[in-house]
Amino acid sequence: MSEQSAVPTTGANSEFWTGKRKQRFWRMIQAILILIAAFIMLIPIIWIFLAAFKSHVEVYQLRLFFTPTLENFGTVFEQPYDLGAKLYNSTIVAFVTVIFAIPIATMAAYSFSRFTLKFETTILVVILATQFVPAVVIILPFFIMFRDLGLLDTRIGLIMVNLAIVMPFAIWMIKGFIDGIPLDTEEAAMVDGSSRLQVIKNIVLPMAAPGLVTASIFCFILAWNEFLFALFLTNREAVTLPIGLALFRGEEGDLWNLLSAAGIIIMLPMFILALAIRKYFVQGMTMGAVR
Amino acid sequence: MRDQTLKYLLVVPAVLVVFATAVWPLIESLRFSFYQGRTDRGDFPQNWLGFENYTWAFLYEPAFWNSVWVTGLYTVITVALTTLFALGLAMLLAPGGKLRSGVQTLLILPFAMSPALIGVSFRFMFNPEFGLFDAFFGVVFPPLADVSWLADPDLAFAVIVMADVWGWIPFLTLVLIGGLASVPQDTIEAAQVDGASGWRVFKDVTLPQLMPVLAVVIILKAIFSLKTFDQVFMLTNGGPGTATQTLSHYIYITSTRYGQVGYAASVAWLMVIPMLVLTYFYAKFVFKKD
Repeated sequence: MSEQSAVPTTGANSEFWTGKRKQRFWRMIQAILILIAAFIMLIPIIWIFLAAFKSHVEVYQLRLFFTPTLENFGTVFEQPYDLGAKLYNSTIVAFVTVIFAIPIATMAAYSFSRFTLKFETTILVVILATQFVPAVVIILPFFIMFRDLGLLDTRIGLIMVNLAIVMPFAIWMIKGFIDGIPLDTEEAAMVDGSSRLQVIKNIVLPMAAPGLVTASIFCFILAWNEFLFALFLTNREAVTLPIGLALFRGEEGDLWNLLSAAGIIIMLPMFILALAIRKYFVQGMTMGAVR
Repeated sequence: MRDQTLKYLLVVPAVLVVFATAVWPLIESLRFSFYQGRTDRGDFPQNWLGFENYTWAFLYEPAFWNSVWVTGLYTVITVALTTLFALGLAMLLAPGGKLRSGVQTLLILPFAMSPALIGVSFRFMFNPEFGLFDAFFGVVFPPLADVSWLADPDLAFAVIVMADVWGWIPFLTLVLIGGLASVPQDTIEAAQVDGASGWRVFKDVTLPQLMPVLAVVIILKAIFSLKTFDQVFMLTNGGPGTATQTLSHYIYITSTRYGQVGYAASVAWLMVIPMLVLTYFYAKFVFKKD
């Protein structure tokens, strides 16, 4: 490939491909590639958005133009689908999971960030490792335990296991934010006679607040999209939105217009939340390995 | 309160939660794996079996080996494709500017999408009668016109790979853009002044410096590929037959449909072992900086 420039090319061709022209050509190629990539990334999402507004006749046609209808968004909330109940379950489960996880994670994160603990590295690695354990391993004992305790198909059970998913991310993410807060204000307040707990309450928490909100949103998205635990543990009462998708796979095949409407209800709020914290998404997922 | 006490008290709740929700179930699963643990009996677990569940999986269960094969192939292919595409896209998007940062923002979207929903959307797109991808591939490569993708073992496998790669390229791209930004610009410029071609600059200057970030994303992607369940469940449910049955799906079926929780736990633990190895390497990258 690199030899190409050394080979003399003939006549008009070599004059045509000089300097600015060549550069402009490459810039165009790049722009085209970027647009193609963006298109591929968006097309399944766009297609769901279109299908959600199609009638059940039009959804079986590959048409771009149609008369949009809001009918599907009404139907999914009616019997037998009753998506409202699933929406309620998803919201409660994700919300309560975050409410429990964030304060507990914040306390630990502060300690990991500011002090040296015995076995600190070991504890942090174990926390990291739990994130990588397959969910299917975690769920088997819970499935048996909840069966014996009558906690199957309850929101409480689901919240308990969701903590397993959310906690490691929350701890690592918040630790990252607290690491970024300079020590001097804390030290100055301590010299002035504030206790450690006062410092945490009056200085660290306000300064870490944007980070805590970010971590909360991130964890909310994780809990909202969680699928495997809910599939094992719920069947009627505590069914969440992702599991609810299975409702639209009837005997006469998939009801694509309804699936798409339900899909929008699942993904649109998460899109908004994710865009709000987009700068921190990567750090959150890689848990301190990439900064 | 003295810091010496406080620093441990602050950590206790988190350690308890992590222990109860992750460490305990892990150990309990290991215990189950040595028992006959059927859910259709009153007591649980039943008889002590020793390693019988494991030997059963190894010797008498072609379905187990099938899912090992599917998962292994799936992991290798998705890791390779996702990394390659993400690297290309990151190189394209890294320079910045209006168009590029706009596209970077859009990359968040597939990642915020529930994997189950990604599975649903790909089922939709590959529908033989009115699926958009199906129509597209039919035009590009006519032998694929009106093929029932999800009914063919190899094509169904290709579809779960595509869905996974589609869902993960954005995240890996964003990580790699971050990695590219931390490659010192002057080393690249120096190479360009020396007359190195674009490809040589990439191969000899950019890539070596990107290696640590690349290693992190490859390990992370491998872990998530090994665990894959959601999309597969929604997209093919392991089928046709068991052509797309990953280990997670196999464990799900054996434990819920057949009630063999003890046996499922032994397979699950066979899955934990490669995961621990990957976590070890991952942790090395996390703590190297300190």
